[in-house]
Amino acid sequence: MKKTIQITVNGKSYSRDADTRQVLADFLRDELRLTGTHIGCGTGSCGACTVVLDGRTVKSCCILAADVDGQEITTIEGISTGAQQLHPIQEAFVEFQGLQCGYCTPGMVLSAMQLLKENPNPSEDEIRHGISGNLCRCTGYHFIVKSIQEAAKRLQASK
Amino acid sequence: MKYIGTGMTSLTNRQLAAGKGTFVADYKPEGMLHMAVLRSPYASARIRSIDTKAAEQMPGVVYVITGQEVAANMNPIFEAYDTAAMGAKGVKWYALVPERVRFVGECVAAVVAEDKWTARAAADAIEVDYEELQPVTDPEKAMEPGAPLVEPEWGDNILVTRDFRSGDPDKAFAEADGTISGVVKQHRYTGAAIEPRAYLANYDPYQDLLTFHASTQNPHPMRVFLAETLGIPETSIRVIQPHVGGGFGLKIPTFQEEPLLAYLARKLQRPIRFVAERTEDLLAGGHAREERLYYEVAYKKDGTVTGLRAKVIADVGAPSALCGWGQSFVTSYCIPTCYKIPNNRVQLFSVVTNKCPWNAYRGYGKEAASFMMDRIMDNVARETGLDRAEVRLRNYIQPHEFPYSQVSGAMLDSGDYPKALRKVLDMIDYENFPAMQAAARKEGRYLGIGIGQELTPEGCSMPRSTLLGGWDGCTVRVNPSGQVTILTGVTSPGSGNETAIAQIVADELGVSIDHIKVIQGDTDTCPYGLGNYSSRSIIMGGSAAKVAANELREKMLKVASKLLEVAPDDVDAEDDKFFLKGAPTRFVTFKEVASTVYRDCHGKAAFDVEPGLEATRYFKHPNVYHQPDTQGRFSSYPSWPNQAVAIIVEVDPETGKFKIVRYCAVHDSGVVINPLLAEANLHGGFVQGIGGAAFEHLVYDESGQLLTTTFMDYTCPTAVDVPSFEVAHQETPSPFTPLGTKGVGESGVTGPLGGLCSAIENALADRNVRLTELPLTPSRVWEAISAAQGGNR
Ligand code: FES
Ligand code: FES
Repeated sequence: MKKTIQITVNGKSYSRDADTRQVLADFLRDELRLTGTHIGCGTGSCGACTVVLDGRTVKSCCILAADVDGQEITTIEGISTGAQQLHPIQEAFVEFQGLQCGYCTPGMVLSAMQLLKENPNPSEDEIRHGISGNLCRCTGYHFIVKSIQEAAKRLQASK
Repeated sequence: MKYIGTGMTSLTNRQLAAGKGTFVADYKPEGMLHMAVLRSPYASARIRSIDTKAAEQMPGVVYVITGQEVAANMNPIFEAYDTAAMGAKGVKWYALVPERVRFVGECVAAVVAEDKWTARAAADAIEVDYEELQPVTDPEKAMEPGAPLVEPEWGDNILVTRDFRSGDPDKAFAEADGTISGVVKQHRYTGAAIEPRAYLANYDPYQDLLTFHASTQNPHPMRVFLAETLGIPETSIRVIQPHVGGGFGLKIPTFQEEPLLAYLARKLQRPIRFVAERTEDLLAGGHAREERLYYEVAYKKDGTVTGLRAKVIADVGAPSALCGWGQSFVTSYCIPTCYKIPNNRVQLFSVVTNKCPWNAYRGYGKEAASFMMDRIMDNVARETGLDRAEVRLRNYIQPHEFPYSQVSGAMLDSGDYPKALRKVLDMIDYENFPAMQAAARKEGRYLGIGIGQELTPEGCSMPRSTLLGGWDGCTVRVNPSGQVTILTGVTSPGSGNETAIAQIVADELGVSIDHIKVIQGDTDTCPYGLGNYSSRSIIMGGSAAKVAANELREKMLKVASKLLEVAPDDVDAEDDKFFLKGAPTRFVTFKEVASTVYRDCHGKAAFDVEPGLEATRYFKHPNVYHQPDTQGRFSSYPSWPNQAVAIIVEVDPETGKFKIVRYCAVHDSGVVINPLLAEANLHGGFVQGIGGAAFEHLVYDESGQLLTTTFMDYTCPTAVDVPSFEVAHQETPSPFTPLGTKGVGESGVTGPLGGLCSAIENALADRNVRLTELPLTPSRVWEAISAAQGGNR
């Protein structure tokens, strides 16, 4: 079955027919071709599919596309404007090696962004808790934490 | 500038951080179909019949296939190992099982449909009539006479055995001051890359070309495996590896779904994609590690170990075409790791059971050998009353004793184990730890310190293997503009070897790294190579890049010297220039020289060099021995990185929970090309090691059902479960590679196993707690505490 949904993704509004079985992650990837949102588990455990929905991070593998009718979504594609204009958090990940394979990274960056919005000056512990819904198998989190610390400093300084 | 030794960030960071990488599941060609697989719900059963009618009739279903069609039209899956050359038993494993299933999750049938929901629903609508058989799920029960047989034709459940001997163990035991016997047990766990396995197959009948996009580590070997299994020429297949979301060994072929998808795409002449669900990967994406190591050691009062008897029993799961069972062989091959023990007997029993087959996982069996040796050294320390570090120092192979041949025939290349251990003890302030421990205890806190020693041989090269070879290839091309293209036979699963290879070539040619592009993972554009595993990408791929770039360097030096009107020996290259040694203001640019070779090949400077600036070279590691010695031993690992780890934990004796307070490591992988990326790799290894030591466990029940089929039950460590890490490098160059590199990719996973046991025992030293089995979950630690309190020591 299909249901027509109106949603705003990265500032652009769409009206699309979504299959009622389709989760938001698949809708973003397959219908809108925003493939930066990744799928690692499908059970809400890994965070690779993290997106921002109406101002909070959600795991888009656990939400049906049909249920987000009328809402506003930000994906990893929505936070930068070009290869040389990444978001400061992305820049910090690039510079401090906060990634390796890059599969967890979009979700990790969005969780970090949300964390820094709510807590602009987090401790290491708070950073670790802030990204504890996002699994990474490559980095051991060490340089991710460092990247977020650096991003926080820079964002603070630019205020 | 020089690049080797510089901690540059990875060249792929920007694209991947932007979310603009391309993984297999991101491709969606016009008209793409989806494949879903029906898997065995039984650990052991005979297939009486399969009824596919209901599935076939579902709207949107394009094709349904079972093992009958597969067995009639395809060869058994080509084995990653030449089992005969390894003295092991092989198996005819088909892309779909025609008759008998041997583990839960084995592929039985498949559906191709217009969308993934239909494919899944139709696969579930296939009716299979099974005759359930008695499974065997414990390796030691599987060794007993009369045990159910996983492969009835074998006559037993033993895949391979090994028996290595040196010296006179009986005499050593007779003359010992003391002996200790025990067991260490490592449980089943796996790599669990966040990107599940994914493949996209697309056949063009006009070119007779199957293009196979795969989340794989090994495009060229995969092409051989597909070609042999499908019975078609290699040249009719192109394997492309786009970005890979982590591999860790688990994305080494050959899984059933790979040739199955290739066959279906050729048959249906439509693009078809298969993306594994997490559950499918946990059920059938390859397991590892489950081993019991029984040991007896003979020691002298001064802590020297004079004799070792070890018996490795590995539960490698059901036999398959995958390369995972080789890990059990490697465990036995590595014993007694860094230590000089004159009298040894090491036996291996690699046992098959009705569980998921092993595939390679970072560590590849080496971790179990080091884990056992760590436990042994700690036990000898306890019995002799000596310090744990001191016992290790008294038993290490000394730096001047290399090359050192171990009991298995393993030829250790080089190392300085005492120096690394001393350095890590300094880092963590080992000497002053007892005072810190005592102070904490006054506050009611239980701190403990532990030592882990890992030896992680790399660059695996097995006899007659399509996959595991001690060599690789690289093409370096200087374009007319002076820009450089590198094409490698090795691939990157995200670990950054493309960056390190670019650094090597940049230094060799004296060109800045911004002028270099690296292309990997395409059988039709890259030189032949074996891909990524066994930390080989820099050892083999980096060395091949070095020799290829050197060939171009020599040619360009010759042309540059003519342009400068000096002798070639007087010219050097750096910073995009060829310049006169000692007079760097006399130079020609790199670009000018490249241009001269291409545009002026009949002119004065380039008339006597071959046109073009492209070199493809292969590097073969010399420290491999495949011609068996008098004992039938061969040595398959040329490179021997090592690491000493010191860990401080705080344990809560009431709950058995522990927290890592400090984690220090001194790593020696020879010359490090890129210290930042080497360290990044190590961090990942530490957390996978900690995950295996304390969090991750693939649990089977007795009937062979896997109980941990999602990330909710198979719990990988999160950022809050692990600490920050303190890492130092030590460089003992390999005497065998042109740059002295030894490989870093697998290092780090081993230290936590012995190191955490050692630290927890130390924290609870007054309670005499003994840890012999992983994972160190709170309940296991708590049980060990209770057992010690009820025990008689
Ligand atoms: S894919 Fe959504 S949490 Fe893992
Ligand atoms: S960078 Fe690979 S999973 Fe995080």
